[in-house]
Amino acid sequence: MQMPCIHNYGRTIMIDSLALARLLQLASPMLPVGGYSYSQGLEWAIEEGTVHNAASAEQWIGDVLEYSLASFELPLLSRLCHAWQLQDQQQINHWNDFFCAGRETAESHAETLQMGYSLRRLLESLAENDGVQLQLLQKISPISFPTAYAYAVTSWRIPTDAALQAYAWSWLENQISAAIKTIPLGQTDGQRTLFALAGRLPQLIEDSCRVADDEISNFAPGLTFAGCRHETQYSRLFRS
Amino acid sequence: MGNTVMAHNHAMATAMPYQRTPWHAELHLGFSERDGRTILSHRDHRGPLAIQKMLYPEGDGVCHAIILHPPGGLAGGDKLEINITAAAKAHALLTTPGAGKWYKANGASASQRVVIDVADNALIEWLPQETIVYDAAEAEWRGEVQLAATARYAGWEIICLGRQACGEQFRQGQLRQSLKIYRDNRIIWGEHANLKGSDRLLNSAAGLRGQPVFATFVVAAGLLPPALLEQCRAVTADDDGLTCVTALPEIFVGRYLGRSTQSARHYFEKIWALLRPWYAGMAAQRPRIWNT
Repeated sequence: MQMPCIHNYGRTIMIDSLALARLLQLASPMLPVGGYSYSQGLEWAIEEGTVHNAASAEQWIGDVLEYSLASFELPLLSRLCHAWQLQDQQQINHWNDFFCAGRETAESHAETLQMGYSLRRLLESLAENDGVQLQLLQKISPISFPTAYAYAVTSWRIPTDAALQAYAWSWLENQISAAIKTIPLGQTDGQRTLFALAGRLPQLIEDSCRVADDEISNFAPGLTFAGCRHETQYSRLFRS
Repeated sequence: MGNTVMAHNHAMATAMPYQRTPWHAELHLGFSERDGRTILSHRDHRGPLAIQKMLYPEGDGVCHAIILHPPGGLAGGDKLEINITAAAKAHALLTTPGAGKWYKANGASASQRVVIDVADNALIEWLPQETIVYDAAEAEWRGEVQLAATARYAGWEIICLGRQACGEQFRQGQLRQSLKIYRDNRIIWGEHANLKGSDRLLNSAAGLRGQPVFATFVVAAGLLPPALLEQCRAVTADDDGLTCVTALPEIFVGRYLGRSTQSARHYFEKIWALLRPWYAGMAAQRPRIWNT
């Protein structure tokens, strides 16, 4: 187990008290968008033997965090937050389509559309939505998960860097939860792995904010193979 | 999509990079359909990039074209631009006579841009031979495919990092690669890589897993029927390279990750043989240039 010796505490994020409460609700595993039913290739990596204990889980999840989350999802989420702040429908559609087109396996593509659809349904039923933006939200079809997430972030006045942090943390927690169930790992090992990987978030989020449009990358072939091979995995708990 | 090279000048193709003025080359090709025959109705080029005469090994319906890049590969500062348009109902297959190469950069990056525009009921197949990225190359490869509502596209890229023949590894340099496919101006496929020679991604299990050859075969012709997907899943590579397929609503993708460009190509040819009757309505017929 590698524990980071020196923490990068990252930037200080100022957030209103109510916005923080909203953010915690958004980041909670109780959010009814079905995230818990996806392993994003981790289940195959376990089946195939690459991931078999806490150390190899930390390695795999850390690499996916770096090569998929921080190189692709977070840069797009930050662009989507910006587009929602400007209520720029063209940019929202552009990055929504870009995200969907970059989901490179049938399962990861279906996953983002299912989660995006579920989150939108939920947001429609919550009271504090601004009418104009809600109409924009309802026009997007199909909608990716980060597109709906960025809408929530914007309408609840959550700062973008706090939102990136929460999005990545929720993803990480879900991966650890899948690892605990599948490898299996003990609760303490799971918490240690989460603690170690969460320590990398500030740096990865800083890096992801510096990614230029033509540097956005969804190139993680091992992850893609895991996602495709999972489609025909004989015994599976997860939908990806 | 690979860059292109004239295979019969072997000495030139394998020469180490030398100091010279960078080349900027352009090739514009337009295919149209006339009474059931696909013809090259527009051709324009600048610099060292050309096309061999049209071949019709499958009859009038399909025009086979071989793209030549006489310098043999791209050195620092070179720019290639290839523009292909297919008017309604045209069907062209494009390939190359040998491996494309990205040489070691001489302080400047080289780029290749391929833009393919396909009209309704037309089909472009872009099936180049492999591309070898030399150690310390600085390569930027951009592909963009614009499809009308009923247009189809099939294309593959087989990339080898480092010259395997002499045990070279890709330790320095950079490869930026992207393929974007649009249907009715809306993006339906985007693959974007930004690889550095020193990157941990090269050895990560979630990345290239220490393998030098990665290859992607993309077909944009709608959702693949499940029975065909099953047949594709049953196809394996000749070696121990990893293979996988997936069928997205708009796109089929096949992949290879391993050590051999030949094995990757052979794997793709087997998939191509299964898929071509579906997306083109005809059996696959291997271009003879692949035998040389």
